[in-house]
Amino acid sequence: MDVDPRHYEHIAINDNDIHNVVLSYLVHNCFKETVDSFISCTGMNQPADCLEDMEKRKRILHFALEGNVLKAIELTEQLTHDLLEENMDLHFDLLSLHFVELVCSRKCTEALEFAQTKLTPFGKVKKYVEKLEDFMALLAYEEPEKSPMFHLLSLEYRQHVADSLNRAILAHANRPSYAAMERLIQQTTAVRQCLGQELGKDGHPSFSLKDFLKS
Amino acid sequence: MGGVEDDEPASKRMKLSSVELRGFSNGSAFTEPIAGSSRDLNLMARPLPSEGDEEVIGSKGVIKRVEFVRIIAKALYSLGYKKSGAYLEEESGIPLQSSVVNLFMQQILDGNWGESVATLSNIGLLDESVIKSASFLIMEQKFFELLDGEKVMDALTTLRTEIAPLCINNNRVHELSCCLVSPSRCGFVGSPRRDIVKAKSRSKLLEELQKLLPPTIMIPERRLEHLVEQALILQREGCMFHNSSDKDMSLYTDHQCGRNQIPSRTLQSEQLLYDLCGVMVLALKILQAHTDEVWFLKFSHNGKYLASSSNDRSTIIWEVDANGVTLKHKLSGHQKPVSCVSWSSDDHQLLTCGVEEAVRRWDVSSGDCLHVYEKAGLGLVSCSWHPNGKWIFSGVNDKSICMWELDGKELECWKGQRTLKISDLEVTSDGKLIISMCRESAILLLDREERVERFIEEDQTITSFSLSRDNRFLLVNLLNQEIHLWNIEGDLKLVAKYQGHKRTRFVIRSCFGGLEQAFIASGSEDSQVYLWHRGSCELIEALPGHSGAVNCVTWNPTNPHMLASGSDDRTIRIWGLKDLNVKRKDGQSNGIHYCNGGT
Repeated sequence: MDVDPRHYEHIAINDNDIHNVVLSYLVHNCFKETVDSFISCTGMNQPADCLEDMEKRKRILHFALEGNVLKAIELTEQLTHDLLEENMDLHFDLLSLHFVELVCSRKCTEALEFAQTKLTPFGKVKKYVEKLEDFMALLAYEEPEKSPMFHLLSLEYRQHVADSLNRAILAHANRPSYAAMERLIQQTTAVRQCLGQELGKDGHPSFSLKDFLKS
Repeated sequence: MGGVEDDEPASKRMKLSSVELRGFSNGSAFTEPIAGSSRDLNLMARPLPSEGDEEVIGSKGVIKRVEFVRIIAKALYSLGYKKSGAYLEEESGIPLQSSVVNLFMQQILDGNWGESVATLSNIGLLDESVIKSASFLIMEQKFFELLDGEKVMDALTTLRTEIAPLCINNNRVHELSCCLVSPSRCGFVGSPRRDIVKAKSRSKLLEELQKLLPPTIMIPERRLEHLVEQALILQREGCMFHNSSDKDMSLYTDHQCGRNQIPSRTLQSEQLLYDLCGVMVLALKILQAHTDEVWFLKFSHNGKYLASSSNDRSTIIWEVDANGVTLKHKLSGHQKPVSCVSWSSDDHQLLTCGVEEAVRRWDVSSGDCLHVYEKAGLGLVSCSWHPNGKWIFSGVNDKSICMWELDGKELECWKGQRTLKISDLEVTSDGKLIISMCRESAILLLDREERVERFIEEDQTITSFSLSRDNRFLLVNLLNQEIHLWNIEGDLKLVAKYQGHKRTRFVIRSCFGGLEQAFIASGSEDSQVYLWHRGSCELIEALPGHSGAVNCVTWNPTNPHMLASGSDDRTIRIWGLKDLNVKRKDGQSNGIHYCNGGT
């Protein structure tokens, strides 16, 4: 259900702005070829080393999602020297992903050793302790997928870590760490929900992006 | 049961005891002569006494023979008398434990973990959950012993294949997992679970398993000792005027502080004797130095000093020693009557509070005023030390409680608690709780660290309260002439009520006292000091002597036989309690402080 168009029809929109929004989304998610063709179609100015950056980022994220975290870390360090040092949380999350890989492939001895050497140093800081304990718990089960900690093995978790990595790399390069498209949708949803609450049930029903796209 | 000489070897003495037990237990005299011939006793040659096969023993018919023999055998073994224990099992035909259980215990002590778990299922009467919990404990021990021996991978295997599959106690499984990565100190920095360190000893494991298994299978450790202690404690609690040391308790006779029949009530100038059914109370000393009503009294923690404060705006520190009670310092400076005092934990300093005025800190040895604590435009109504000696609390008449450093810097202020004109404020000796009057009929217990508030609610107006030394109980004086005893540990519970004294217009105070604080004392408006037995709530005595309302009482913490009371008649009376039973035993005075004559 849409808001009465008379409220917003008159607002002018610049084509360039729309192009930028779309481009920001594509760059954020490393759709390199699409960016290429989009830029040539719209005749936009191509940001300087954008393509090369994207390529590197794409590889890093691919390794992280696929399960080769160590390679992802290596490439990250190549790209940005001190990123992981400055980002302890991210570093921990990446290392724990590798730990999870080892556990899943039933390499328990390696997993234990890896944990002892790489993860326990984080244990000195209080906020990592709980996370560490959760990961360690995985070792206790012969079928970790059936353990209470199974969510740590899921694709969603890996995606979440990969996203954090993506944002960190972008931020480090002084690029926006969130795609403008994403932000716009988030803000619209929030505003619409606010409106819906203020005007009460008779006003507008709560906002649903899905419905909006269908209408 | 006299007549057993001390120089006999242990095993013969134990044989004697077990025969005597059997003889006494059926209430009849011995059929065989024992006296003087204990060395010739050879139990194996004699026929068994006639009651040998009865299932129940003892005059009340509540003790089962089999159980009785088994716990005695267990006690013999744990005392180290293995041969006697074995003889008993053989002779009575009652084995301490079934052979399966013996096997199990041996396997545990030898570290045959897998076999012990198998044996576990052979022991009858065990249900599934008990077997699982016991297996968990056993495998946990195996895990820790492997870790101690640096066999980390084996420990991991045990965890994965033997512990986790039990599917109980997942949290513990996770903790064990963490132990794998830091075997030297299990748990990480800041982790609250740091008590799971090294493997415990195997006998400790056995003890824990014993607690899990039903007691019929494995007799709990020290069961006989526990039963005997229960009986002794029951006797002690039944003893009304018990004010003597536990070392006096014996197994040979039931304990009871004796009743005294003396009628003597001699009235001498300052020595008055009262019959307290075995405990005599003497007024030892009358202290006259205040020029107005005495409102508050408190002995120092070490019992060497007494502080008294008065409507005459002064506080006096008295010195208490073997020669008596003498005036040490008179502390002047308050412009208002002094309503309460508080001793620092080391007794070197004293706080005094002028009503709706200021709090002063004094040095006890010199009598100098070290600091005055005030709040501009407001009056302070109560004072208390924090046990660490660095902070001071005070109630303020703007309904708040204030906390200061010694130099006067204000640290914290709790608002909103109603503090009355003359109020009470106490801090527990561990520094955790602040206890204060909150509304007319409520007391606030504020936990400073946890920021948790609890309230004692009464139906009547509360006039004063007093904290027990162990911080577990609060004695509350009410408007309606009742004194209530509250348990303040955990859930607040009203435990007992004491009545008999009189209170209509003034603030009357009460206190705990005596050995282990087994007595309650209170002042009263009928000029008497009232004493109750704490456990039974029975009024023991009302002591006349003062000629005005008795406002406050305090009991010497290091001398359970000394009590002080302060009154509107401007005097302080020091009372001494003497246990006549003790006197009868050694025929001498038991060391109360006698002083000569009046002030």
